[in-house]
Amino acid sequence: MALTVLFGTFVFLLIIGTPIAFCLGVASFATVLVLGLPPLVVFQRLNSGVSVFSLMAIPFFIFAGDLMVRGGIAARLVALAGSLVGHLRGGLGQVNIAASTMFGGISGSAVADASAVGGLMIPQMKARGYGVDYAVNITSVGAIIALLIPPSHNMIIYSISAGGRISIADLFTAGVLPGLLLALSLMITAYWVASRRGYPTEPFAGFGRALQLLLAAIPGLILIGIIFGGVRSGIFTATESSCIAIVYAFLVTLIIYRSMSWNDFVTATTAAVRTTAMVLMIIGCAAAFGWLLAYLRVPAALVAFLQSVSDNKLVILLMINVVLLILGTFMDMSPLIIITTPIFLPVVMAYGVDPVHFGVILILNLGIGLCTPPVGAVLFVSCAIGRIPIWTAMRSIWPFYGAAFAVLMLVTYIPEISLWLPSLFH
Amino acid sequence: MKSFWLATERLLSQLARLALWVSGAGLTLMTIIIFWQVFSRYVLNRSPSWTESFSVLLMGWFIFLGAAVGVRERTHLGFDVLLYFLPHAAKAVLRSISDIVVLAFGAGMIVYGVQLTMLTWNTVMPSLALPGGVGFLPVILGGALVCLFSLERLAGRFAGLPVDADQYATGEEDL
Repeated sequence: MALTVLFGTFVFLLIIGTPIAFCLGVASFATVLVLGLPPLVVFQRLNSGVSVFSLMAIPFFIFAGDLMVRGGIAARLVALAGSLVGHLRGGLGQVNIAASTMFGGISGSAVADASAVGGLMIPQMKARGYGVDYAVNITSVGAIIALLIPPSHNMIIYSISAGGRISIADLFTAGVLPGLLLALSLMITAYWVASRRGYPTEPFAGFGRALQLLLAAIPGLILIGIIFGGVRSGIFTATESSCIAIVYAFLVTLIIYRSMSWNDFVTATTAAVRTTAMVLMIIGCAAAFGWLLAYLRVPAALVAFLQSVSDNKLVILLMINVVLLILGTFMDMSPLIIITTPIFLPVVMAYGVDPVHFGVILILNLGIGLCTPPVGAVLFVSCAIGRIPIWTAMRSIWPFYGAAFAVLMLVTYIPEISLWLPSLFH
Repeated sequence: MKSFWLATERLLSQLARLALWVSGAGLTLMTIIIFWQVFSRYVLNRSPSWTESFSVLLMGWFIFLGAAVGVRERTHLGFDVLLYFLPHAAKAVLRSISDIVVLAFGAGMIVYGVQLTMLTWNTVMPSLALPGGVGFLPVILGGALVCLFSLERLAGRFAGLPVDADQYATGEEDL
C-alpha cells in the first residue's frame, strides 16, 4: 500500500509536469502520512540530505565551468584542439570531439560542455559547409565524454547516493580510460560519416601555430593537472579542488586574459545559482524518497526478485543497462543517479560487481540518456545552438548512438577498462 | 484590480531578485571560505575548524532560496512532454494541480521547519557555537517563498495572466 502511494504519487505528478524535486518530496510526504510516521522526518531528511560538505562541489564545478566559458579558457582549448586534429577527415567534427575531451578535464557537466564547445563549434561548422545535424549530433554525444573525464560532479552525486563510502579519487580515475575510449570511438564514427558525406579536412596549421595556441591554452591545461593531481594525491578533497578551480579560473580570466567584467561575474554567479539550487533541491527531496525506499525494503525485494530471474551477472548487468537507458530517455541524469543508486547498487554488489565499476557504467549509460528525447538536456542545448528541430538531429544521430552504446557494452563487460587505472594507485 | 496585480507582481519580482542575490552572495562566500580553508592548511599550517560547517550552513540558504526562485521562473527540471499534446484547458488544470502540490510542500516546509527549529534550538552545533535550530531557518524561509511564488502562479492563471508563457518571470532580461 505505502509503496503504491510512493510510486503512484511520484509517477502521477511526474506525468502532469510537476518539477521533479517536488514529485519526490510530495510523494514522500504522502507516503509518510499513509504510514502514520511523523511528517517531520521528510523535512528533516530534506535538510540533512543537502547538508553534506561534498555536495558543495556541484555548485562549485558548475560555477567554475561558467567562468571558464565566459572568460575564454574554453575558447582557447577549442582553438588548440583545432590545430591538433583539424586536418583529419571530418576536420571540425574531430576538433569538436577533441575539444569536448579537453574541456571535460576542467568541467564535469555535459550541458556546460555542449554549450561551451557547441557554442563555438556549431556556427563554425555551419559556415564551413558541414550539415548542421552532423555538428549538433557530434556536439551532443561528444559532451558525454565530459561526464567520464574527471572532474565529474555526477560521480560525486553517485558517491554520495551510495552512502559516501566510495572513493571519489577512485571514481575520477576510473572514468579516464572509458572517456578516452568514447572519444576514440566517436572520432572513428565522425570520420566514417564525414567520408560518406564528403566533408572537407582543414589544412594543418603548422607546428609554429600549434605551439602558439598551446601556449595560449596552457592556463586551462594546468587546471586539468591541478584538479586531477590534487584530488588523486589527496592534497585536497574534490570540494576543495572545485573551489580552487573557481578561484583559478577567476584569476586567469581577470589577470591573464583580462576578459571579465563585474557584469560577467554577476551573470555567471546567478546562472550557477539557477542551475545548481534546482539540482540540490532534487538531491534533498530524493534523500527523503530514498530513506522511504530503504524503510519499505525495496532494494532487498529487488535483489530477491532479480536473483529469481537469473543468477548470471552478465544478464543482470544487461537488464539494468536496458532499464537505465529507458529511464534515461525521459528523466534527467542527477535525479536518476540519486534514485537508482540505492536500488541497483546493492543488486550488482550481490553479484560481485565493483561499486567503482558500476559508477562508470551508470554515468555513461545515463549520459547517453542526456542525448535522447523526450527529455535530453544536452541534445536540446545543441539543437538550440544549431537552430534545428530535434527531429532533424534524430534522423542522423544513430551512428553516434551506436558508437556510445558499443563503448557502454565494452565498459560493462570489461571491468578492467574502468578498474585498471585506479588499481595502479593502490 | 489591475493596479493591485501590478503592484503584487512588482513586489514578488523584487523579492525573487533579492533571494537570488542572497543565494549568489552565499555561493561567493562559500567559495571564499573554502579557499581560506585550503590556504590556512597549506600556507598558515593550521586547519580552521569552523569553515566546513559554516559553508554547509550557507549552502542551505543558497539551495532553498534558489530553489524557491526556480518555482517562480519555472527553471525546475520536469517531464512536461504530456502537456504539449493536451488542449489548452486541460493544460491549465494539470498545471494548477502541480502548483497546488508545490504550494502544499512549501507549507510543509514552513510548518515542519518551525517544529524542527524549535526541537533543536537548545542543542549546540559543534565547532560553530550556534543553536542547532539555525540550520532549519532556510527551510522555513524557502518554504515561505515557495508558497508565495506558487500562489502567484495560481492566482495569475485564474485571473487570465500569461503565467505559463515562456518568457514570463524569467528575470534574465533585467540582469
